[in-house]
Amino acid sequence: MFCLTRGSVTVRKARLLPDTTEHHGQGGAGEPGSDLFVDAVVADVPETPSRWKRIRRLPLPLLVGSFLVGSFLTVAFVSFIWTPHDPLKLVVPDRLLPVGSPGYLFGTDKFGRDVLSQLMVGARNSLFVSLLSTSVAVVVGGLLGLLTAGSGPRWRNVLSRLVDVGVALPGILIALVLATSTGPGNQAAIIAIIFWFIPIAARVTIGPARQILALDYVEAAYAYGRSKWYVLLRHVTPNIGPLLIVLASVMFAAAILIEAALAFLGIGAQPPTASWGRLLQESQPLLEAAPALMFFPGVAIVLTVLGFNLLGDGLRTILDPQQASRSGLM
Amino acid sequence: MGRVILRSVVSLVLAAGLGSLVVFGLLRLIGGDVALMILGQEAQPGAYEILREQLNLNQPWYQQYFDWLLGVFTGDLGTSYSARFDIYEEVLRRLGPTTLLAFGSLLISIPLALVLGTYSAIQVKKLRGGVVDVLSQIGIAIPAFWAGLIFVVIFGINLRWFPTGGYTSPFDDLGMSLKQLIMPTMALSLGITSVLTRYVRSAMLDVMGEEFIRTAMAKGRTRRGAALIHGVRNASVSLVTVGTLQFGALMAGTVVIENVFVIPGIGRLLVTSVLGREVIVVQSLILVILLMILIMNFLMDIAYVLLDPRIRDSQKGEALA
Repeated sequence: MFCLTRGSVTVRKARLLPDTTEHHGQGGAGEPGSDLFVDAVVADVPETPSRWKRIRRLPLPLLVGSFLVGSFLTVAFVSFIWTPHDPLKLVVPDRLLPVGSPGYLFGTDKFGRDVLSQLMVGARNSLFVSLLSTSVAVVVGGLLGLLTAGSGPRWRNVLSRLVDVGVALPGILIALVLATSTGPGNQAAIIAIIFWFIPIAARVTIGPARQILALDYVEAAYAYGRSKWYVLLRHVTPNIGPLLIVLASVMFAAAILIEAALAFLGIGAQPPTASWGRLLQESQPLLEAAPALMFFPGVAIVLTVLGFNLLGDGLRTILDPQQASRSGLM
Repeated sequence: MGRVILRSVVSLVLAAGLGSLVVFGLLRLIGGDVALMILGQEAQPGAYEILREQLNLNQPWYQQYFDWLLGVFTGDLGTSYSARFDIYEEVLRRLGPTTLLAFGSLLISIPLALVLGTYSAIQVKKLRGGVVDVLSQIGIAIPAFWAGLIFVVIFGINLRWFPTGGYTSPFDDLGMSLKQLIMPTMALSLGITSVLTRYVRSAMLDVMGEEFIRTAMAKGRTRRGAALIHGVRNASVSLVTVGTLQFGALMAGTVVIENVFVIPGIGRLLVTSVLGREVIVVQSLILVILLMILIMNFLMDIAYVLLDPRIRDSQKGEALA
């Protein structure tokens, strides 16, 4: 769906067509000149451009975003099978080695643990927390949005008011309440992000879902005897799919930021779990002695978040779910 | 106008009531026994009974809830279990730094975002506009606390321009207070400015396609003149709408930044209380933060009316509902 298949190239051409004919074919559609132009375009399409050319035609944010996200995923998965050192092994003589020391590319922390290895394992933790929370939130929130869009006027009002209240509730407060009740840890972070994102996902889904429910083929499906949920899942969901994919990408970026912030505050991941936010927390007392410890985890967070945001931006350009960018939530 | 304000006040009170109920309920529903949460599992049997009595936990929940609400108005929220401070006084004392920090960054972010967003929208086809766009994208990705740490290393430790943390009341020593507040405010503003800049940019791009811009240009205004005179005001209306969604993020940022710069505000107390499982303190602090957000929303509602004559004149204030 994302790679530009021949089908979507045709679509892009078709979109360009009215514009160009307006400029060139001043005389109207019947003129031989404009016909020629259309012929030229049609002739252009079957001659499939090389793969490289097709990739280059994609929007730049998408390319940069995919590259950054790809690197992040690679690092996270590689950390399962290989890290330069055991990220938890304390080597006291090698404490606080500077960047570029032999064997320790990014240096070591105050216990002599390898910073690069900890960063790699930290990527894994970010991935775990963000993937779990974002996917649950998008699925549950999406279903809630569908349900709201598909119910009768009275229930729809009640549900969408509830969703509005949820969107307005500041998520960090939910996270703090949860952490007080269940104790700090990854678990608190995950549940907090889920609660935070569900109303947002629902809010983003409701509008577009209602637009599609108003279309003729939905009417036809009902006339054919399909149930409400069949229509919602078979006809509405595929149509708002692009929207949900863009939403998931943007939410993933936000989840990484939240996970890091919670871990930094001591509410998220607990020692010995390596997390980028916790690495930054540990670096804070050593800012004067070893400022490099603060540098790399932050860069990792920025690049990953930037990657997911750019990916979301690029996907939005390609998939074009207009509604979402207007609602101010994404 | 008066009716609109009245409506906003009513919705402010309603939302505050609902919010307090949610906070109160969540802490008890998810956490279970408050006394057990505070004491931990290794509590001695006697201490448990005494604490329950002290916190009035033997009364029905609605009684507890109303006692708590009453306490908010009469200034009696009880004392902290482990640190033994009077919660109400402590909250009042810590309100100052948090308010300064939050409103300070808003005062910087909103005008800056308007300028940057408008600039990048007007220059949309040029490199300069693109640079603003890329910078705002990077600004969003930088966590506020990391920006804070970088500022500490550069301006605090290496250049020694500003102290690396702490807080002085502006009434005691204005110069010192400003010096200490500059870095945290900048760190907090960075992300918010970036988000708002993107909103302003896309709002401006939308507005620039409107008919009245074309009319203004037909009357002889340049594109830039039309944008500045007719566009900005329209774009700021939508900035107000999305801005309200950013208050939660602003308060979240304040909580984190206070912990980076050791500022004795609400956020720092909140994190210590959460880690110490001081349920009663957390409950009151969260209500305070919620109230701050609601009050900012209220102010935004008023700004909305002032900015948009369509709402001001309609007297219905539909957009506020």
